[in-house]
Amino acid sequence: MRRAADAGLVVVLLSAVAASLLFAGPAASPGEALAALAGGGPPEVRTIVFDLRLPRLALALVVGASLALAGAALQALLSNPLADPFLLGISGGGAAAATAAYVVLPAAALGLVPAAAMAGAALATGLVWWLARGPLGPSGTRMILAGVAVNAAASAAILTMLALAPSPRLPGVIAVTMGSLASANPGQVAWLTPYILVPGFVLLLHGRDLGLLATGEESAAALGVEVATVRRRVFLAAAALCGGAVAFAGVIGFVGLVTPHVCRLLWGQSTRRLLPRAALAGAALTALGDLVARRALAPAELPVGVVTALLGVPFFVALLRRAP
Amino acid sequence: MSPAAATGAGGNVALLRATSLSGGYGEADVVREVDLVVSAGECVALLGPNGAGKSTLLRLLAGILPASGGGVELRGRPLAQWRRREIARVVGLVPQHVNFAFPVTVAEVVEQGRAPHLGAWRPAAPRDHAAVAEALRRVGLAGREASGVQRLSGGERQLVLLARALASQPELLLLDEPIAALDIRHQLEFAEILGELVRGGVGAVLVAHDWNFALRLAHRLVVLHHGRVHATGAPPDVLRPELFRAVFGVEVDTLPRGAGPPLFAPRRVAPEEAGRDGKG
Repeated sequence: MRRAADAGLVVVLLSAVAASLLFAGPAASPGEALAALAGGGPPEVRTIVFDLRLPRLALALVVGASLALAGAALQALLSNPLADPFLLGISGGGAAAATAAYVVLPAAALGLVPAAAMAGAALATGLVWWLARGPLGPSGTRMILAGVAVNAAASAAILTMLALAPSPRLPGVIAVTMGSLASANPGQVAWLTPYILVPGFVLLLHGRDLGLLATGEESAAALGVEVATVRRRVFLAAAALCGGAVAFAGVIGFVGLVTPHVCRLLWGQSTRRLLPRAALAGAALTALGDLVARRALAPAELPVGVVTALLGVPFFVALLRRAP
Repeated sequence: MSPAAATGAGGNVALLRATSLSGGYGEADVVREVDLVVSAGECVALLGPNGAGKSTLLRLLAGILPASGGGVELRGRPLAQWRRREIARVVGLVPQHVNFAFPVTVAEVVEQGRAPHLGAWRPAAPRDHAAVAEALRRVGLAGREASGVQRLSGGERQLVLLARALASQPELLLLDEPIAALDIRHQLEFAEILGELVRGGVGAVLVAHDWNFALRLAHRLVVLHHGRVHATGAPPDVLRPELFRAVFGVEVDTLPRGAGPPLFAPRRVAPEEAGRDGKG
C-alpha cells in the first residue's frame, strides 16, 4: 500500500511537471514546447517555456511544498487536525503588509512588495509568539488563539485598504489575498528555493518529535522530546516557509490544510513518514491547481487557491469516507 | 526482608534518589522537600489527596519539570546532567492524559516508545520491532496492532500507554493513576502485569487513589500531604485509621482479613477539628 502510494505520488508529481511545461497555454503547442525543452525550436517558444512556464512551475512547486510541509508540521505541533499555515496569523501579517505596499508604494518600487510581505509575516510571527507566552511558555491553545486574533486584525486592515486602494492597484491586492503565481520570474525562484531549504530541513529533522508532540506535551517530554526547543524551532520554521510562500504567491488556501490529511490517509499517521510526502504532494497539487487555474476559463485566470480547493477537497472527502 | 530495608542499608546504588526535592509551576512550590528512594525491582506507591502534589512529583522525578530546590539522581548521576532522550531510555512515564488528536493505530502509538532509541533519522530496525512486539505481548494486546486507538475502551487505552512505555525498555516506570478509569477486572489485570514487571527487576513509582490497589503492589508507601511527605514506610505501618483522618479527613472502618493487612473502607467525612483544608 505504502509502496504503491509512493509510486503514485512520483507519477502525479512528474505528470504535473510535464503538463505544466507542455500544456500551459495556446502560445506554444505541446510539440513546440517539447522541441524547446530538447534545445531546439524558435527562440520565442524557448522564451515562453524557459522564462515564463518554467519559473511559474518552479514557484508553484516550491510554494506548494512549503505550505503542505508547514501545515503538516503545525497540525502535529498544535495537536490539532484543523491547523494550517494560515491559522497562526503569519499569512495574515504577510498579506496585510503586501497589501499596504501595493497601496502606498510608487509604481517603480512595487518590486519591494515581497520584502514587505516577508517583514509583515515576521512581525506577525513575533506578535503571535509574544501573545501566546504563558507561565510555562507558549502552549498550543494559546498559539492558536493568538493566531486567530492576529489574523482577524490583519483581515480588517486588508479590507480597509481594499476599500481605499486606487483602482489600478486592485489586481495586485487581489492577487495577494486570493493567491496567484502569475508574477513568477526566475529571480524569485532563485531566491526562494535556497530560502526554504533551511526551514524545510528543520521540520524534517523534527519529524519524529512532532509525532510525539501531537500526543501532548507531557507525553512527548516523557519520550525524550525537548518540548520548548522543538516548539520554538518548528514554529519559526513553519512561519518562515509560510512567509516565503505568501511573499511571492499570496494566500493560497487549502494546500496546507488538506494535503497533510490526504497523505495521512495514504501513508498512516507517522509524522516522520508524512512530512516529506506532504511536501511533494503539496508541490504536485499546487502545480496542477495553477495549470487548471490558467486553462479552465482561458483567457480569464482563476485564483489558484480556488482551484487547489476544488481539486483537493473532493479527493480528501472521498478518502475520508473510505477511511477505516 | 522488605525492599525498603535493602535500600536503607545503602549497599547498592538506588535507581532513583530524590533529596529534599521541591518544585512547582510558578512562585509557590507544589512539592516541598521530598526525599524518596526507588530501587530496581521495587514498587513505591504515592498516595495523598487531590492537589497533594503527586503528579507534580512524578514530573519532577521524570525531569519534565525542573526542580526549584534539592535534586534527583538517576543511577547515581544528577538528573540535570542527563539529556532528555537519555532519561527517556531509562525512565518510562505513563501520563494520566494522552491526546489522540489523529486516528492513530495501536502499533503507531507503541512504536513511539522506541523514539528515545532512534533519534531523528534512524528508521526502526528489527530489534525495535521486537521490542514493540514484546511490549504488546506483555500487556495482552498482541494481534491488535491495526486497531484504532480512538476506538479502544479506556482500559485498553491504558494498556496501550503502558505498552508504549515498555517499548522503550525502561528500568523505572512512573505511572500516574493508571487504573483510575479501569473496571475491576482491568484493574486486576493491570496489577498483574505491573507486578510481573516489578518482579522482573523494573522499579516503579505508582500514583494511586485506591489504597487497596496500592497495597496489592507496593513494597513501600509514600503519603503526600500539602506537597510534603506525611508518612512513609511499609504499607501496614503507614495505612492506619489515624492517617486517613489526618491526611484525607475521613473516618474509615478497618476490615480484617484472614491473611495479609486489613482493608479500609471509608465511613464518613471526619468532623471539623480533625478535618482537612478545603483543597480538593
